Parts: sequence; structure tokens; C-alpha cells
Amino acid sequence: MNAFDYIRPQSLEEAGRYLTSHAHVKLLGGGNTLLLNIKKGLEAPEIVLDVKHLPGLSDVRYHHNQGLKLGAAVKLQHLAAGLEIRRHYPLLHQTAQKLASPQVRNRATIGGTLAWASSVSELAAPMLCYDAVCYVWSPRGKRTIPLSEFYVGDGRTALARDEIITHVHLPAFPTRTYGVYQRQTVRHDGRRMIAAVAVLAIRKQQALTHWRIAVLGVDDRPKRIPEAEELLQGAPSFEEVEQALALVQERIHPQDVEYARADYRRVVLQSLLRHGIMEVIQHLQGSRS
Amino acid sequence: MKHEIEFIINGQNMQFTVDSNQTLLEVIREELGLTGAKYGCSTGECGACSVLFNGEVVNACMVLAPEAAGAEIITVEGLAEEDELHPLQKSFIDHHGVQCGYCAPGMLISAKALLSRTSRPHEEEIREALVGNLCRCGAYADIIKSIQVASRARR
Repeated sequence: MNAFDYIRPQSLEEAGRYLTSHAHVKLLGGGNTLLLNIKKGLEAPEIVLDVKHLPGLSDVRYHHNQGLKLGAAVKLQHLAAGLEIRRHYPLLHQTAQKLASPQVRNRATIGGTLAWASSVSELAAPMLCYDAVCYVWSPRGKRTIPLSEFYVGDGRTALARDEIITHVHLPAFPTRTYGVYQRQTVRHDGRRMIAAVAVLAIRKQQALTHWRIAVLGVDDRPKRIPEAEELLQGAPSFEEVEQALALVQERIHPQDVEYARADYRRVVLQSLLRHGIMEVIQHLQGSRS
Repeated sequence: MKHEIEFIINGQNMQFTVDSNQTLLEVIREELGLTGAKYGCSTGECGACSVLFNGEVVNACMVLAPEAAGAEIITVEGLAEEDELHPLQKSFIDHHGVQCGYCAPGMLISAKALLSRTSRPHEEEIREALVGNLCRCGAYADIIKSIQVASRARR
């Protein structure tokens, strides 16, 4: 690896000073992407700032009205194993269990993983469905970025270079919420993704509302398809489900990769999404009483 | 940049001077001479370098040495007690969980982490726990069997 200085700042302010005073500073969370990029020579930072020990960044707090606050340094393994996640955000729990490997989940942080803005970044799918909002700090002040505006395409995020994600907030969801995550990958650990989709809805009396569709691997970023979500509001008929699927096809731009052609990725996505939507409908309407 | 770090490895307190860009795996293998953890892909995919880091399995090739300051680390060399092999190690020998042997230290560490939270894992749980460990001999069936037998043998 190229030489760099490893620094463990004690406060956000100290981290901010490094981000302001040096041109090539990289934030270190679990390091799964950063160290790989440094080893490959894709990045050559002067300073690697280990921000995962900063005070408060490992906090997890759940409140039945206010929702879930997840510190940016919370490990992915917590999403896969934490009781409050399993009980109140089962889609997040379900997805996290499939993320990479135990070795990676024990190191990878929520902030670092979200900031990895690849189109196949799996954590983004459930987070988009749960309307996650990133809370960001910089020496210039604080701001919030809804995850739906966080990914700006081609592996980039809306973060400025002096900004640090401090935590992520998910609103509270009623118990009549149901979501599924479906993926097709070449490898068991999720690498070499062909396509993936997360679908979520809430049952309100007889209607299914708050539809969320998040797709991976089929565009230049993880993204929601709001027009298709709109079509499903209420109690969607088979025809409306097919219309929504057709609309999703118009909104995606998959690329050829060595293990899957773009048109194949479209077909796989269509199938995963149809299955996902039907499962959500079945589950929420089947449990009607 | 140099860092004076201290950590506990296999129960022993150690002090080192490390560079910012050294990995934990380099320190374990080259400074300490503990060559059980293997250098495999170096990209966090194969799990040959798995060690327990504060009780959790991680890829030592993807941890910077200065990050290990204050940590408690267990490598495959730390599984046996005195001259007595760990039940997992015995089972790997008895049930042919070791073929060429390169992946075995990582497999053992992942299995150890699994058994410390689930005493009687199902086959599916074992498979999940080994997702991050590749065996290029393809000895998975015997590895899984070794772990199953070892878990049943424990009380």
C-alpha cells in the first residue's frame, strides 16, 4: 500500500480540521472499500482518518414514535442481529443478513457502506424503502440529506469533501408494514450482482399505501422508482402491477457487465420485482382480518 | 507515520511499532511469526486471513495495524489449550475438513465464532457462517461435517 498517515481524531472538530487543511483525506470506517482501493492504487490519500471511534457515532436508539437513529459507525452486523432492527425494521434485518460475509459485516459501518455509492450497494435498498435520512456534519455546519437524494450517479454522493455522516434516521413504521428484498447474484456473498430489488408497503384499512420500490444493479445509482410506486397505491390489480413493472423498465438503464448483459439484467429485475410486489400484496392482504 | 501500539494476541500482551499502512495480517505473520492466518486474496474475499478481533471474525488483511491498538486478537494458534487441540481442530482431522489446508485456519476461526454464539448450529447456519471463507479444493462438505460433529460433541 502507498504510504499515508493513519490518524484517529478525538472529535468531529479535529476531523474537520484535517478535512479542511489537507487535499487528500479519506475517512476510514470498516475499510472494506477504502483499503481495497488503496491496495489497487485507485486512491492515494495523504491522511486516513479513522472516524469510527468518534463519540456518539456508535449509538443506536429506537423510539416508537420517533423511529430509529443509527450512528454512522454502527456495524452492519448490528443490523443483521440487533433485536430492535429485527422487530421494527424487518426488511433492513433481512437484507443485512445477506450482506457480504460475517468478516465484512463485523467491520463495515453504516456510514461507510452508504457512502459507497455503487449501483449494487445493497444496504441502500432497504434504507431507501424506509425513507432514511443522512445527518451530515462539516466545519461549515450541519445538514440533512434524504437518501433518495444522496446518490447522484456514477458512484458519487451528494456529500461535499469536508462532510461526515454522523447518523442515519429512519422514521417509525406501523406494524402493518411489510417489505421484501430479492436479489440475483453470481456469488453467494452478493458479489457480481445481476439485479436486486426491495419492495415495501403499509396496509391501511383495505388499502396498501406508502409503496416503495428500490432497485439495484440496473442504473448508475441505487434508486427508487416513484412513478411506479404511485401506480400501486390502493389495492393494485394484476393489470396495475403489470403497468408498474412496465414503467420501471422505462426508468432503468442497466449496463453490460462481463457476467450479465444489460437485457438479461432487465429480465431478471422484472421477475424479482413482480415476485416482490406479489409477495407484499399477499402478505398484507392475506393478513387482513 | 509510526505508531506505538499494544494489543493482546492469543492471551499475550504485545507492544509494537507499526507503520500507518501496514496491515494487521503483516504484523501477525511477519513481526510475530504466527503464520497460521494465511495471505490469500488480500482483498477481503477469501477469508484465509480470518482472525477473531475483540471476539468477532474479521479479515486481518483488511485491518490497518494501528487500528488494532487495544484490541484482543485470537488466531488459529490460539485455539488449542496447552498441547490439547481444540475440538474443532480434532474434528477437522477426524473428518477430513483439511485438504490442502490453506483455508483451514480461516475456516476454524469462522467456525469458532459461530460456535461461541450458537452451540448447535444447523447446516444452513454453518453455511452462512462460512460465506466469507473460500476453499479452492472444494472440501466444503467435509468442512461442514467437521463443524457439525464438533458442535454435537460439546456438551
